[in-house]
Amino acid sequence: MKPGIGTLAILGVAAVTAAVIGVMSVIILRAHQGASIAQLTRSADQLSETIASSTHHDMLENRRDAVHREIITIGRQQGIERIRLFNGTGTVMFSSDEAEIGRAVDKKAEACYACHAAGRPLARLPIHARARIYRAPDGHRVLGMIRPIANQRSCWAADCHAHSPAETVLGVLDVNLSLAEADRQIAHDQRRLILLAVLAIAASSLLLWWLSRQLILRPVRALIASTRRVAQGDLSTAVPATARHELGDLARAFNQMTSQLNEAQRQLAQADKLASVGRLAAGVAHEINNPLTGVLTYASFLEKRAGNDPETRADLAVIVRETKRCRDIVRGLLDFARQTPPKRQPTDLNEVVRHARTIVTNQLALAHVGVELELAAGLEPVPADSNQIQQVVVNLLLNAADAMAGADAAPGGSIRVRTSVVELPARGHATIRSAACPKGCDLLDGHARLAGVPTLRVLRRVGEREAVVHLDPVYGRTNHRASAPCEEGIIASYQCPSCHVRLDLPERRCSECGAPVFAVQTGRLGVVEWCTRKGCPATRWEAMDAAGPRPFAQIEVEDTGRGITAEEMDRLFEPFFTTKGARGTGLGLAVTWGIVEGHGGSIAAASEAGTGTRFTVRIPQVPEAGGSEATAGLRAPMPDARGETAAARTAPVAPRVAPAPDAPPAGGAGGTP
Amino acid sequence: MLVVDDEPVVADAIRLVLGHEGFSVTAVADAESALAHAVLDRCQLVICDLMLPGLSGLDALREMRARRPGLPIVIITGYATPAQEESVLAAGATAFLPKPFDDSELLTLMRRVLSQAAAAREERKP
Repeated sequence: MKPGIGTLAILGVAAVTAAVIGVMSVIILRAHQGASIAQLTRSADQLSETIASSTHHDMLENRRDAVHREIITIGRQQGIERIRLFNGTGTVMFSSDEAEIGRAVDKKAEACYACHAAGRPLARLPIHARARIYRAPDGHRVLGMIRPIANQRSCWAADCHAHSPAETVLGVLDVNLSLAEADRQIAHDQRRLILLAVLAIAASSLLLWWLSRQLILRPVRALIASTRRVAQGDLSTAVPATARHELGDLARAFNQMTSQLNEAQRQLAQADKLASVGRLAAGVAHEINNPLTGVLTYASFLEKRAGNDPETRADLAVIVRETKRCRDIVRGLLDFARQTPPKRQPTDLNEVVRHARTIVTNQLALAHVGVELELAAGLEPVPADSNQIQQVVVNLLLNAADAMAGADAAPGGSIRVRTSVVELPARGHATIRSAACPKGCDLLDGHARLAGVPTLRVLRRVGEREAVVHLDPVYGRTNHRASAPCEEGIIASYQCPSCHVRLDLPERRCSECGAPVFAVQTGRLGVVEWCTRKGCPATRWEAMDAAGPRPFAQIEVEDTGRGITAEEMDRLFEPFFTTKGARGTGLGLAVTWGIVEGHGGSIAAASEAGTGTRFTVRIPQVPEAGGSEATAGLRAPMPDARGETAAARTAPVAPRVAPAPDAPPAGGAGGTP
Repeated sequence: MLVVDDEPVVADAIRLVLGHEGFSVTAVADAESALAHAVLDRCQLVICDLMLPGLSGLDALREMRARRPGLPIVIITGYATPAQEESVLAAGATAFLPKPFDDSELLTLMRRVLSQAAAAREERKP
């Protein structure tokens, strides 16, 4: 394994610390040792001075016993190795070691060397020259201090006449102090210093390890993990970016990069999908419209010339009608690709449903599927594009038939179609169709859908932890999804995932728990607020609450087919998502969704695998003022008259921000499981 | 009358409908043949598809317009967009008819275009 940045830093610092402390220890120990030797040298000098002066008188009196006793007594004191007195010829005259007395010492011996080195003895020597250190036979060190005893008038004038006035040095006093104790002390200090040095190295390494882990390794590992996730294509990842130093800046830059990449990729994917729809539609239109021209022209030509044969006329009329329907389907596809707004006219939904059933009767009969209608009496006309709504019903009927004809469904059965009028409050039904941060970034995420509806993408931050949260776009519902878990009850901070501007509203408080709230802008429909406390369901959309319940015309299409799994549910209305394999284009429900959104309505599916599915389409009885066409759902503003392809025109998904005419009515999207 | 379309079924259908109304219809499959055809210099009306092999319908339209300024030219296309309609009309087409159409839509348009052309000729003749 390669050594980590932390290991390298620790090794480096440990080496430097060891070197510095080592050099320091050697200097300190040397100084310490020098000081203690100097101290002992002075002590030895003082002691020899004391002995010399205290024995002076006895010498003059020639009281040799007294001198001997005195030297023995002093020599017994602790720390004193030996005291001896040599005469001028090197014979030991007195010694604390009595065995030595009378023995002659060679002038080359260590005690004599200082004066006799040059052959002729020096009479006066400085203190450091008189001191010497040697090892005793048992190994411990000894400090020896010699003191030449100079000839004085009182010496040669004394009664004993032992010395002649010609002699300069009469003898040498040699005081030997044991260094064992001092050496023990120095060794002890040395051990203590080494221990301290090791401790210092260990402590600084530990501190460095902890610091590098906290300040460098953890953020770097988080960055590496995130980078790997990004490399695997997960662009919703975010690294904690709370640090104030450069790594924090790096993390913030990284997060900004991924979120912008994500946004770009999202738009690119969306544009790509729409471009594919556009190309497909264009190709299909061109290929199919030529044969359709032939069929339509021949059939309509023949119909007028069929004479009195009513049966032939009726048959030809069917051909003409159905060919025109094909034409409308192709145009519908082109319309989806080009995102055209519905041409609204007061429409009888019951009539649309009946007509839709007629259109698919034959196809359903082949699959042994019947259609039962439960049409509400006295349904008010709804402002809608009858062709588009008919296409919705036809799509849902064909879809239901497919679900019932599958291998894993019971053969036969019937589809139930119901129409009704419902009054729905905004809470629980209104869908947020436009959402922006205060700086105008689009928060709507068509890639992460809940029950087929694009969610709102925000960034949640708790301390250092960041998570991408997809908010449930249906007002009042809380099926939010987060990329990372968060403890219940925690108050988080919310940000725009693109520009990181805070979404919190400082002046507002949650009506239920008093925590701060965060909000997104929906343009003309004001702001939608949520509580920042995890688990608190409080949410508020003043404009929609104020508008009160709104009436919707509702069409339900219910089958007894194979049902939709939870995984399929979220991708249900995505273009090119199909469960039918080669038989499906994945466009049916996408076109359906586009049409319903274009009407400012909603479509939702409720399903139980194995027992069937119910699609609920709701079209507002009164369209929102300002026209839902402009911004509903996937739809972009109406084509300009340039020569671009349809797809290119609709590609930029984002700019759906104020002050453009804004999101439509709150269609209810109820009924999802 | 000259019909330019590479799809035989479309050309045949137009010939059937307009032929029944008494028009003499010549059909060619590409723009080069149309521009080379002698009929172009004396026909009353041209119906031209936009997506043709080789020279495009739009280029053919410009060439024909240059040669016969007063000739009614109707452009038909299988992939009609508002932008396309605008550019075709700007290039000098008299009318734009998206496919598919039925016989009455075709006839109504032809009659309107021909009577407009006749009216324009009357105006030029003092």
